[in-house]
Amino acid sequence: MKKFFKTYLPFTGNEIKRNLAYKGAFYLFVFCSLFGSFISYYLWKAIYGSTDGGAIGGLTQNQMVIYVFMTYVTSSIVKVSISEEVSEDVVKGTVAMNLIKPIDYRFSLIFKGIGSSVYRFLMPGIFVWIGVELYSCLVLHEPFTGIVNLVLYLCSAMFSFFIYVLFDFCFGMIAFFTTYIFGLQMVKSAVLSFLTGELIPLSFFPAVFQKVFDFLPFSSMVYTPVMIYLGKYSGSELMFVLARQVIWIVILYALGSLIWKKVTKRLVVLGG
Amino acid sequence: MKNLKRYFRLYKVLIAQFIKVVLQSKVDFLMGLFGFFFTQVTGIAFLYLIFEQIPSLQGWTLDQLIFIYGFAQLPRGIDHLLTDNIWKVAWWKVVTGEFDQYMLRPMNVFFQVIAEKLQPDALGELLVGIILVIISIPKGILIIDGVHIALFFVSILAGALIYTSIKLFFATMSFWVKRSGPFLQVAYEMADFAKYPIEIYAKPIQFILTYVIPFGFVAYFSASYFLVEKSAFSTIGMECIIAVILWFIAYGYFNYGISKYESAGN
Repeated sequence: MKKFFKTYLPFTGNEIKRNLAYKGAFYLFVFCSLFGSFISYYLWKAIYGSTDGGAIGGLTQNQMVIYVFMTYVTSSIVKVSISEEVSEDVVKGTVAMNLIKPIDYRFSLIFKGIGSSVYRFLMPGIFVWIGVELYSCLVLHEPFTGIVNLVLYLCSAMFSFFIYVLFDFCFGMIAFFTTYIFGLQMVKSAVLSFLTGELIPLSFFPAVFQKVFDFLPFSSMVYTPVMIYLGKYSGSELMFVLARQVIWIVILYALGSLIWKKVTKRLVVLGG
Repeated sequence: MKNLKRYFRLYKVLIAQFIKVVLQSKVDFLMGLFGFFFTQVTGIAFLYLIFEQIPSLQGWTLDQLIFIYGFAQLPRGIDHLLTDNIWKVAWWKVVTGEFDQYMLRPMNVFFQVIAEKLQPDALGELLVGIILVIISIPKGILIIDGVHIALFFVSILAGALIYTSIKLFFATMSFWVKRSGPFLQVAYEMADFAKYPIEIYAKPIQFILTYVIPFGFVAYFSASYFLVEKSAFSTIGMECIIAVILWFIAYGYFNYGISKYESAGN
């Protein structure tokens, strides 16, 4: 166990350092990605303005504000894309190097992902989070989020991270079959922003869809931790959603191993 | 005139080459198209889900918003189809010195940049736009007469020119900062605000969308001309004026940038 972390933790450290090196571009990227949240924020404000002021989709207007920005925080720390790196490695053939090294390719990617995630948690995650809390307390006059919810949220977000990267690893395996993964990446991010609840809370969907979502891993990626943050689950329901996240980690881990075994058998790398 | 004919012929030759490349990899083409198509579809699905809960959004109905959304895709798609190569100038053509090749040929530099590539992915956006506009026609929400139909096409072209000018302007910055991709990205994504009625935003954002990076005119202002009685001048007319002014600023800046261009490397 100790050896395991000694082997893979440097990947995390390097990734944080790499991110620190390209700060300028990153800040602009953060700025840009917040656009989407602000569009949602104003859109929701207008939407709630068009109702009689009650809750829609089970959320009040104040909760929706928190929902929008906490979704941003959550998806920025959870959605660390490793499939791009997989496809690059496959297309360039560098994946062969990873096969001969005495390390597990997937673990090295996951630990790199942790590095990115930690970095994004510190910048901009924490700042946006503080901003949201201050806004909700000073402007919306809502109480601060309780420490229990916060701890449970962090725990759930960590599970979400693993679900996402393990899923994304499986997705990256498509690169073994086609080289132009850009189009598929777009489809993926569109589908995910919808099914994870990033675009609109899943409670807005018709009941039939929600039943289907219960059996997909996507709601566990963003929706679950944010709803926990908002304190929407309690008691056995809370246990159930957390357990579901763990089950998805196990399933996606197994699936990833299976696909990896299959594709590396048919892998042909040219050149030397 | 002779010059124009020459460029027209050159464009056909260059595009023919590009189409050959696309046909060689049909799967990539379809996936790119599907990718952009799908991204837009989720936006529409979002509107549908919202309108399950509310009857209208600040006085706009679902049908009207869908038209605005679809209409916004048309100039965006046209610009995306024709001038996608500008992105490459912003991201790496200047910093790697690849831009040299344009300087060496006896052709207009801007022409070379855009003629090098067609972006077939854009057909996904155009497809969504066309479908949404067509399904809006029988709903009786649009004002349809000769003038409106003519101005519809004028507005799309002017909108595409606004997009191109903004892209060109921010790409030109790379002659000084070497890699202006992130700036271009920020400016380009501002356009997403204009898919919805811009009255919903706070005043500063409205100001930016109207006067600084005028994407409001590309979509929302001009789309509203076809939906409610408004003067053609204050919507489409303004759009055209802005498009022309922006184009002269961007193109002038671009030419100035070229005169300052220094190749990378040693």
